[in-house]
Amino acid sequence: MEQTCDDIDEMFSNLLGEMDLLTQSLGVETVQPPSPKESNKEYNFTVGFKDLNESLNALEDNDLDALMADLVADLTEVEQKTVQAQKTSHYSQSEVTQPSTGVCAAAAYDYKSNVPVTTTGCFEDDLPPPPPDPAFNLPLPPPPPEPLTQEELETQAKADKIKLALEKLKEAKVKKLVVKVHMNDNSTKSLMVDERQVARDVLDNLFEKTHCDCNVDWCLYEIYPELQIERFFEDHENVIEILSDWTRDSENKVLFLEKNEKYAVFKNPQNFYLANKGKNEGKEMNEKNKEFLLEESFCGTSVIVPELEGALYLKEDGKKSWKRRYFLLRASGIYYVPKGKTKTSRDLACFIQFENLNIYYGTQYKLKYKAPTDYCFVLKHPQIQKESQYIKYLCCDNQGTLQQWVTGIRIAKYGKTLYDNYKRAVQRASLASGWANLATVKPAVTSGSSLTVGKIEPAVSMGQELLLQGVCVWGVSLCNSHKHGPATP
Amino acid sequence: MAGLKTASGDYIDASWELSVAVEELGPEAEPLTLRVTGDVHIGGVMLQIVDKIKVKQNWSDHALWWEQKKLWLLKTNWTLDKYGLQADARLRYTPQHKPVRLQLPNRRMIRVHASFSEPVFRAVAGICRVLTIRHAEELSLLRAPEEKDKKKRKGPVLGTEDEFDLSGVVLPASAEQQPFRGMPAHFSDSPATEACYRMLSVSWTGLTPEHVLKMPRPSNLMEKAQINSRWLSSSRSLMQQDVRENEQLWLRFKYYNFFDLEPKYDAVRITQLYEQARWAVLLEETESTEEEMMVFAALQYHINKLSLSADPTETAGEQGMDDLDSALSNLQVKLEGRTSTSDMLENLTTIPELKDYLRIFRPRKLTLKGYKQHWVVFKETTISYYKSRDEALGEPVQQLNLKGCEVVPDVNISGQKFCIRLLVPSPEGMSEVYLRCDDEQQYARWMAGCRLAAKGRTMADSTYQSEVQNILSFLQLQRASPDAPVAPDAEAMGTQWLVSPRYQKKFKPKQLTPRILEAHQNVAQLSLTEAKMRFIQAWQSLPDFGISYFVVRFKGSRKDEILGIANNRLIRIDLAVGDVVKTWRYSNMRQWNVNWDIRQVAIEFDEHINVAFSSVSAGCNIVHEYIGGYIFLSTRSTDKGRGLDEELFYKLTGGHEAL
Repeated sequence: MEQTCDDIDEMFSNLLGEMDLLTQSLGVETVQPPSPKESNKEYNFTVGFKDLNESLNALEDNDLDALMADLVADLTEVEQKTVQAQKTSHYSQSEVTQPSTGVCAAAAYDYKSNVPVTTTGCFEDDLPPPPPDPAFNLPLPPPPPEPLTQEELETQAKADKIKLALEKLKEAKVKKLVVKVHMNDNSTKSLMVDERQVARDVLDNLFEKTHCDCNVDWCLYEIYPELQIERFFEDHENVIEILSDWTRDSENKVLFLEKNEKYAVFKNPQNFYLANKGKNEGKEMNEKNKEFLLEESFCGTSVIVPELEGALYLKEDGKKSWKRRYFLLRASGIYYVPKGKTKTSRDLACFIQFENLNIYYGTQYKLKYKAPTDYCFVLKHPQIQKESQYIKYLCCDNQGTLQQWVTGIRIAKYGKTLYDNYKRAVQRASLASGWANLATVKPAVTSGSSLTVGKIEPAVSMGQELLLQGVCVWGVSLCNSHKHGPATP
Repeated sequence: MAGLKTASGDYIDASWELSVAVEELGPEAEPLTLRVTGDVHIGGVMLQIVDKIKVKQNWSDHALWWEQKKLWLLKTNWTLDKYGLQADARLRYTPQHKPVRLQLPNRRMIRVHASFSEPVFRAVAGICRVLTIRHAEELSLLRAPEEKDKKKRKGPVLGTEDEFDLSGVVLPASAEQQPFRGMPAHFSDSPATEACYRMLSVSWTGLTPEHVLKMPRPSNLMEKAQINSRWLSSSRSLMQQDVRENEQLWLRFKYYNFFDLEPKYDAVRITQLYEQARWAVLLEETESTEEEMMVFAALQYHINKLSLSADPTETAGEQGMDDLDSALSNLQVKLEGRTSTSDMLENLTTIPELKDYLRIFRPRKLTLKGYKQHWVVFKETTISYYKSRDEALGEPVQQLNLKGCEVVPDVNISGQKFCIRLLVPSPEGMSEVYLRCDDEQQYARWMAGCRLAAKGRTMADSTYQSEVQNILSFLQLQRASPDAPVAPDAEAMGTQWLVSPRYQKKFKPKQLTPRILEAHQNVAQLSLTEAKMRFIQAWQSLPDFGISYFVVRFKGSRKDEILGIANNRLIRIDLAVGDVVKTWRYSNMRQWNVNWDIRQVAIEFDEHINVAFSSVSAGCNIVHEYIGGYIFLSTRSTDKGRGLDEELFYKLTGGHEAL
């Protein structure tokens, strides 16, 4: 077993070395994937950890196993391709195409070559041959009316093979990141997130690990201590993409917690769609009418953005003074009424549009920026991490108005996706509660992502749970990291 | 029935003379007189008439029209007595279907046969069947405005006045329409009807700024309310509403509740809806902000460009990928299209790069430094620049990853200035960089690369070449526009006609074009149908969308106010300021009544809220029908198999006249 492991290690580092040589010979000026031997400490990038070893230690055993299995799988694929690939050159070129944040992937490779793990062999033995890509089976060319000539057949077979190889290569390149997530009891959990996973997938993973009630309010929550801003990830957002905007020495954190605000609009749409300038708030509405209102607002040809306008305070650039202005929300952006003008459409001046922009809550801005109230929201480009004139700070009179603005902007920005996210979250929550009620009955398998989840018995006591986790979640992670396609259903 | 006569020649039995005018005998001809009794059936009367006329033709569409009562005598088994018809009645024997001149939502005219005997609701359904517009219940007819508007128009007659004739078209008997050569079969009869189908399903490209300027534009809510006084009643026939043969009518989407828009079946419907939306935006019937106007302009430009080369018969193919056969053959073409595998490899793996000397300018506070020449390398999504070409192997002066950055064109053709302004995000904020290119070609290449990079894509992306072409053609547009006399070429018209007159005045062409270009980059890759749908959606997102205005007087109020009727709510609006005073939603509505004597609409909402108003700008029945129509439309089910409950429609909209 030890023998096989070494062999693979050796083969792998050979491969990496070869790639490096090729990359250098091509005269690449951009950031290269760092050569693995020298520079782990500087380049290895994990979120919320000082260095790689710490992050790896923090990973639970089962994660390690999964990670291991992933790497072995990657490796075997790579092996097969080395045999298969016709040209080494195209191989290395595609490696070069890895974006500069590719360090994460390098981190994964590194780990493989540095940490001796004894279970590798058995994994390799058990590993089934890589299944043919499902996407590949479907669009086969129709049976040709006449038999193709030998030459044509050959070219076609060759083209197919190359395509398959490229597909696999892409698969092998999948970036993975070890992410430390803070729980609400001040503990942390580390988990592997691959670049195809959206917040929903990560939440599902966390549900499996924490045995929480899986309700729709659970979210991944991003906190910037430096800017004192925070926001929840929308369920469709790609987690790795968000995290790669953080700087290396970032103090930012990801939390796993419940936020009622996340889907408040779908629970009580009347508070957002029918509230008249602060009046009638908290008015009850029967479920049927709510459903009708949601249907009308989110399921038409275009999504209806709640009508929202009113005076807000805007922080002036570089100063700690706030100016009151009359703002209006439209599907195309936030507008304000210029001095001496009316609020007819043609007179409005555009304050900001939502492309390349995230919305955050600002916390304790009365103290930090002398804001009139603590009900602030912040608009900034996701990549900006430090104070800058390009960050817009706005302040509302009360909590209700703040929620209306934040929700309204989210609806304008994300549209129907938000509603789809919600429906999926509800589905997930009802699935979980269904199991809690019928612990002994195995539910019919409804979707691919919930396949292995069924094994987890919610009624077990704490001690057993841990044991079970060791077995079950292992299966989950392995399954997820391999078969989990791009997360859209 | 030859009755006995008195000495004076009068009949002494129960028979009497009925006079019937027949148009086919000429305008001067005396009406026919028939000898009838009260128990003759209408069918019998018509038989007598045909006998008497002695003209051989198909009379099957003809029916009797009672002028004084404005009534069609369509029940052939009814007797004259049952209709209450007596000797003083003036009857006309006339076709039930007559041609009308119809102005479509795209402001073009067609001639079609419309039913003058059925309720307008059905007449519209008939017209829409000919035009192949689904969900006819969303459309209706308006009277054309009074001719006095025409006096204002001077200069050449607009090109939109061309008329297409569809009056000869015969619809197949079966309800299922078989497409033929990519269009509904009844359009493929002659080149003329084929041209008509093109007009219906492809947006018209010959628009000029004059077209927009000459159309009457509503300037305030009062004027916006005017159009709504011209709707015809849906539950009465055209004849009953004094519409004459060959009269001009407008066909418009009346209810802003577009059900199940499906590009596969709705080529004409989507095009006409887009056209109505486009005119609503251009004429500021639906108001938009400057930023929104630029998006609308960009979409129009894009749609226009694609329409020039569009083949209406292809629109189905564009979307019809769900068909397995076509998907497969498409794939075959794709696979065979590849010349060789090595080519394919190259396409799949190599990413084109740009390398050039460009002038770069980084604006900073308190510096007067200008552009400085650098060797710039653009690779994947990253731009790196060096002091010179020789240093390209070393450390770059700066490296910018353009992912997520803002790209703004800064171009002045007459000044030969081709700049790209980049606002590049970094953890510290945004850094501003200008790249200055030497000529159009260079600019287009770099600009296209920047735009793709901003979206996180590289120049290997399949859209890169078309992006370059887009930019070049847009520059061409700008080159042609300044000062040049109006050329007949559509491209040379510049961009003025893409925006409403207000913005035509506000911006010079050279200011306008870059802004439209900027908005265009987000829509440049849309297909024709997608672009139209996007336009419709953007229109629907405007706060003013879908509100029909009426001047009303609320009960207990002394001044005129505006009532806005939308697809889900009623809005009370202050006439002077334009502010929303109050909103009532249909979902809270208990019932509504019309007091036809005092012409007042009374509505009761939940929690005992009562609202009553009388209509000033339009007939009370129009307001009533509008509200009832929206309620009716909301009852439509997603079950496509089910037809419409027409009776319910009349019940909800007709008032006492329907009875």
